Amino acid sequence: MFRYSGTAAVFVLFIGFLWSEPVISAQQAKVATAPGAGSGLSTDKALTLAEQGHCQESISALKRAMTGQIPPETRKKAGIVGLRCSLTLDNRDAALDFLRLLGKQFAGDPDVLFILVHAYSDLSTRMAQELGRTAPQSIPAHKLNAEALEMQGKWEPAQLEYEGMIEKEPDAPGIHFLLGRLLLSRPDAGPDAGERAKQEFLKELEVDPNNAGAHYVLGELARRDEKWDEAISRFSQAAKLDSQFAEAYLAWGACLVTVKRYEDAIPPLRVAERLTPGNPAIHHTLATALERSGHREEAEKEFAIHRSLDSATPMASAPPKPQ
Amino acid sequence: MPSGIRTPQLTRRDFVSKVVAGALLVPRWPGFVLPEAPQFPFEEILPEKSGIRWVHSNGKSPEKYLPETSGAGCAFLDYDNDGWMDIYLVNSGKCDFFTPNPPLRNALYKNNRDGTFTDVTEKAGAAAGGFGQGVAVADYDGDGFSDLYVTQYGRSILYHNNGDGTFSDVTEKAGVAAPGWASSAVWFDYDNDGRLDLFVGRFVDFSKELNKPCGIHDDGRHHYCIPKIYSPMPSWLFHNNGDGTFTDVSKESGIASHLGKVWGVVATDINNDGLIDLWVSNDTVANFLFVNRGKGKFEEIATTAGVAYSDAGRARSGMGVDSADFNDDGWMDLFVANLDREMFAIYKNNHDETFDDVALPTGIGKTTKFMSGWGLKFVDYDNDGDLDLFLANGNPDDLISSLHGEVTYEEPLMLFHNTGKSFQDVSAQSGPVFAMPMSSRGLALGDFDNDGAVDVLISVNNGAPVLLRNNAGRHNHWLGIHLRGAKSNPDAIGAVVTYQAGDLKRRRVKVGGGSYLSSHDPRMVLGLGKREKLEWLEVKWPMPGGTTERFTRLPINRYITIVEGQEKGK
Repeated sequence: MFRYSGTAAVFVLFIGFLWSEPVISAQQAKVATAPGAGSGLSTDKALTLAEQGHCQESISALKRAMTGQIPPETRKKAGIVGLRCSLTLDNRDAALDFLRLLGKQFAGDPDVLFILVHAYSDLSTRMAQELGRTAPQSIPAHKLNAEALEMQGKWEPAQLEYEGMIEKEPDAPGIHFLLGRLLLSRPDAGPDAGERAKQEFLKELEVDPNNAGAHYVLGELARRDEKWDEAISRFSQAAKLDSQFAEAYLAWGACLVTVKRYEDAIPPLRVAERLTPGNPAIHHTLATALERSGHREEAEKEFAIHRSLDSATPMASAPPKPQ
Repeated sequence: MPSGIRTPQLTRRDFVSKVVAGALLVPRWPGFVLPEAPQFPFEEILPEKSGIRWVHSNGKSPEKYLPETSGAGCAFLDYDNDGWMDIYLVNSGKCDFFTPNPPLRNALYKNNRDGTFTDVTEKAGAAAGGFGQGVAVADYDGDGFSDLYVTQYGRSILYHNNGDGTFSDVTEKAGVAAPGWASSAVWFDYDNDGRLDLFVGRFVDFSKELNKPCGIHDDGRHHYCIPKIYSPMPSWLFHNNGDGTFTDVSKESGIASHLGKVWGVVATDINNDGLIDLWVSNDTVANFLFVNRGKGKFEEIATTAGVAYSDAGRARSGMGVDSADFNDDGWMDLFVANLDREMFAIYKNNHDETFDDVALPTGIGKTTKFMSGWGLKFVDYDNDGDLDLFLANGNPDDLISSLHGEVTYEEPLMLFHNTGKSFQDVSAQSGPVFAMPMSSRGLALGDFDNDGAVDVLISVNNGAPVLLRNNAGRHNHWLGIHLRGAKSNPDAIGAVVTYQAGDLKRRRVKVGGGSYLSSHDPRMVLGLGKREKLEWLEVKWPMPGGTTERFTRLPINRYITIVEGQEKGK
């Protein structure tokens, strides 16, 4: 379900771009005009101008500074100030340039990462607002709203959004899937939630028979109910429809291991391994399938990879965490 | 009755008849009858009734030293050989990070044979006093009296039972101090020489100096750390030399080649080869399945056996363990409790040194998803002939609910009834005690009132132990057997008992240890259901005895002792 879980955009709840310094308003930026501004500005001058609110005049010089031979701290400052100015001016192309350059030149820098998180969040919010402004009654706008409600745990209004969309456009692809997913996530969905969700995924497949995600989740539901044949069929179908769907291959192989069809489990697990070689679960399941089908040497290799990945899991080297 | 069989001096029936007779003499209120309280399968015997007023103290500190949350264990044992189960309780006393004032001590309670117990610790001289963890009981020297091995954070203690109600600390002479943080220990005869050897599980490399602060809240409160941040350590295996001393064979046996963070251990025979293996749980690293290959060597096969990790290949937080043939196919299965959101595992033996986790199909997985388990044991609590499962739970982190709303620090006990196809959670119907959240740790089984219904003792971290009387077992028929090895090891660990009562045929293996930091009544109670006759019973003694003895015309609903080699062919 990982690839198909979707990312709920922040639409209903606007999260502002939380600068640690005072935010320059767009109006300020437009009104202020610096004397002698131009593309030939020095970096220091451009920084000063930007800090005074003259974004329009300084942005080219700041971008140039990012590729120039200047001290890294100055370059970093130019990037951050330039990014802020780009967003203030709502110049998204420039903002993306600054994001790319900062991310590349200061990879792993916590200050820069903090800025990037907020900048991407800000851009995401702006796009959401644009969608709400330009097509408020469209299916994508309602979808985004529903996803945001889900993210906030407002299950009932989110469900109503999905149901409203289905009423409006019964054949819109993806909506039954999202409603099914909500029913599985909602803690108060009731004891029949699994069955209701299953019906939604089946309806999704009527609308869009090629929805690999729906096949996958139906496979998970069948696996939970220990309906192994159905689970195997669903997972294999999901993998067939989306050849890059590593989780589907893994689940397919894992089910075959469960029903002791070890030899049959090896091919899908090999594909899963190729798609996501760093996933310890794949190596463990593959090793088990190999071991139990008599391929001892290959199994030992996979167990060794699993061991190395297991010991390298982030928690092993992370700072102390609670129990 | 076979000559090798003897009965205890006072049976439960005698006890009950005396109590009833006494009650008849007490005047009653005329015309006023209190409604009879419903009798649940398990009933808590409160301290004011049992006389067990000892309380565990964990030395809880703002620094949240990890050993504070792990202890401690408990045991049922018959230290004075009167046929009645006594109780031993472990406390967490003095160590490098804790100096209690007044000092803390363990407790030995003598069974008064009337449902009450008397604290005899001082007289017995088995108070310990260090930061205790667990206890393993066995007659290591074959003198007929149960000895105590008390594991501690720091240095463990071997108490030799002098046979006169007292114990002597013989740790130094025996050479089994096992310095470090010892957790669960188990007695078993790994080399089949007829003498009980000792495995001592070791947790992480820890000391006051190595303590790390974890998950600090704004108000300065700490969480207990996930043990991932501490280094794993090798466990100990001590060979019993037969002269009161032991030899450390941890390295040459292969045990010490594997670094772990051991919590639970059970001695079992997973491949029916007569050599006792060890199922060992580890916290945050892969579990161990040490298969005994003979000649003093163990091979660790947990990964290939499928019991090291979760199905997703993740090391879990292995806590309590047990082993039993829960599906009656003649092969010993395995159980391990894990932490919340990991699910407990019940491993079905595939008869080829591999196992499948059947937690989901048996119903165990879903029910235990948010639980954290410690003490646990397979037990036929209702004597219907099927092995049920008793689980003691509690999260190790007292601030866990601030991290995960669906998880609590104190958790209720759980009872699963074996339906033959799955395990049904019958906790809600089994008594009010199953609704009580507790910080349970150890769990010991023992029939303290000798009525054939196996009772349960729970040790509680930083709290009073909980004694539960089983009211369900006596509604079915049963036979209790106390096996005494002669050539074989004295406690007959590894003996295989097969019995037939009407259409019921069962095979039970006497395992060593199991649960968490705890030790159990050495007697086996064989459930017969409603069947009123036991056709026959066979005991296959472990090596070096190795013989099979068959008994017929055995009594039921009582305890008998079977001594190896004293009766044949009946």
